[in-house]
Amino acid sequence: METHMMTIGLPRAMLYYRCRALWHTFFEELGAEVVVSSPTDREILDQGTALAIDESCLSLKIYLGHVRALVGRCDYILVPRVSSFGRHRNMCTRFEALPDLVRNVFRDSGQQFLSYEVDELFKKDEPGAFLELGRSLGHPAKAVKRAYKQAKKAELAHHKARVQKQELLFKREGIKVLIAAHSYVAEDPYMGRSVTDYLKQVGVIPLRADLVDREAASKRSRELSPTCKWEISREILGGIAMHQGDVDGIILLSAFPCGPDAMVNELITRRVKGVPILNLVLDSQSGTAGVETRLESFIDIIRFKEGKL
Amino acid sequence: MAEPKMRNISFPRYAEYNCAFKYIVEQALGARYVMPPALTKRTMELGTKYSPDSVCTPFKTVLGSMIESLEAGADTLLMTHGLCRLGYYGELLEQILRDLGYQFDFINLSDYDMDKKKEYIRIVRRINPKVNPARFLAQFMEGLRMVEYLDEIAAEYYRNCGFDATKGSYKRAYQDFLTAMYTAQGRNDVETGYREAKRALQAIPLDKPARPLRVGVVGEFYTAMDAFSNLELEQKLADMRVEIHRWMNVTNQFLHYGGQKNMRVKIKDLSAYDMGPTSTANIWYARECAERGFDGLVHIKSAACTPEIDVMPVLQNISADYKIPVLYLTYDAQTSDVGLMTRLEAFYDMIDMRKKVL
Repeated sequence: METHMMTIGLPRAMLYYRCRALWHTFFEELGAEVVVSSPTDREILDQGTALAIDESCLSLKIYLGHVRALVGRCDYILVPRVSSFGRHRNMCTRFEALPDLVRNVFRDSGQQFLSYEVDELFKKDEPGAFLELGRSLGHPAKAVKRAYKQAKKAELAHHKARVQKQELLFKREGIKVLIAAHSYVAEDPYMGRSVTDYLKQVGVIPLRADLVDREAASKRSRELSPTCKWEISREILGGIAMHQGDVDGIILLSAFPCGPDAMVNELITRRVKGVPILNLVLDSQSGTAGVETRLESFIDIIRFKEGKL
Repeated sequence: MAEPKMRNISFPRYAEYNCAFKYIVEQALGARYVMPPALTKRTMELGTKYSPDSVCTPFKTVLGSMIESLEAGADTLLMTHGLCRLGYYGELLEQILRDLGYQFDFINLSDYDMDKKKEYIRIVRRINPKVNPARFLAQFMEGLRMVEYLDEIAAEYYRNCGFDATKGSYKRAYQDFLTAMYTAQGRNDVETGYREAKRALQAIPLDKPARPLRVGVVGEFYTAMDAFSNLELEQKLADMRVEIHRWMNVTNQFLHYGGQKNMRVKIKDLSAYDMGPTSTANIWYARECAERGFDGLVHIKSAACTPEIDVMPVLQNISADYKIPVLYLTYDAQTSDVGLMTRLEAFYDMIDMRKKVL
């Protein structure tokens, strides 16, 4: 008798936007079926908000809504613990807490969760974590290693393609604005997407600070902040260091209340000079009128500065 | 003969540990210590005014305290590293203070790789190039012993101070002990001060019922331990004739336990990994209190403390499993004394009533 195909649920939030190629390829290579929650909508946000502690960030509320949407629809939901990639290369502690947090919030749901742990400060690297993950699902080591290799290749290729695509946009004529945001904020339909949509609509070219060569950006981040300890913030800082001369403005886009952004964005506004900066914090309010007003006046400032208004 | 320039070092106010910082700076490092003024409303106003809005409250407290240290004559500020946002405090604090126009030397431990022993020597040499290594080591260890004594006496104090037969005698003995620690000039002063405090506290007659109300305090590493920051929560609750128990302090977190591996054995079902710098100890201790039949738990954190927010769903499950009430408190620069008192009185009435019924 054919055994049932294992299904893995991926919440479309947080690290999904960074790791989607890695996760999809890995599980598909191992013959599992992957289910992704649908893009964020009002119901996901409301469900997540109800499940989260009030003071949590908007990104976590949305994440819990996505997990909720997958409960009962798959054998396992993937919730990794990603803590550090080395010294001064940490993730926000929320990514450390995520698996235990989710298990505690959903402990009466009967849902099974799957996790892997990357914490290089404690000698737990990504290849080892994926090997353990694949073996815990009953696959032989050799097959798991092959799947991880393919998945890592896919991830790097996916990112590289996006970086190259964006590089072309820098050569275009027109007002360019660099968006400094975590990918899960920038790309979520309920958070950053409304910002990029609006910018495009008014003829501005939105560019992403984090769509750069990650290693190079991480090194360049030292110019702006020598002790910045967050991996993703460092990529964003590096992206700003690389491109601040190529753009007409920078938008610091964060979800309320983001721990790292509250500090790093303060530092950016104190250290990056000579280019207009808009500090935009998104919360769960419905409607985009408030955000649009602020974007509109920011674009006006840029146009005025360039004598185009 | 030219006098070698002696540094005037300060480290922000932190619970009662500043006497140990003072001791280490003066006795071990051979520099002068500038005691930051006690935290007041003004400290918080200064800190809040110049901090980003949604940074955690201890950042604001520390910034305010540093400004007051500079006003008091410090020329060197020391800032620690840390596992959460604390690890980035230093760089942003320095930038804000420089933008305000202050001049000082800033020693930021986040600049150093604190996993390497020789980095510690670099820091010591930077503070005082002529430091005597043997003296440094002996006096540094004595400073750490002072930290242990501070934590031990504080624990004894909060466990019993609500029950002294003649009101105020416990408090007086504790204040005498703190004075001895703040003025200690050498090993003998520290040891004598500790011994005398131990004797004095034990000599005070207690009027304690056989089964007193017991409350466990867990929470964030700064706010749960700093009495000013938590509006003297422990004193307020103790004054209602409650035994206060708190595991979290510098001794337990740093000096006696490394890695807390063995704590996780008992909480595996609740938390498989570290969820933040103090999550494992807090979850372990909360369950420990629940199993020992405590009457309630208080969870203390500052506004926007990410790791402690993430521990809350686990505490909610402990509360449900063991039927133990948990009071969740979030402190920001605006939290008022009166508001806190109302919540504490309601919490006290509830746990007191439960004890009589159950």
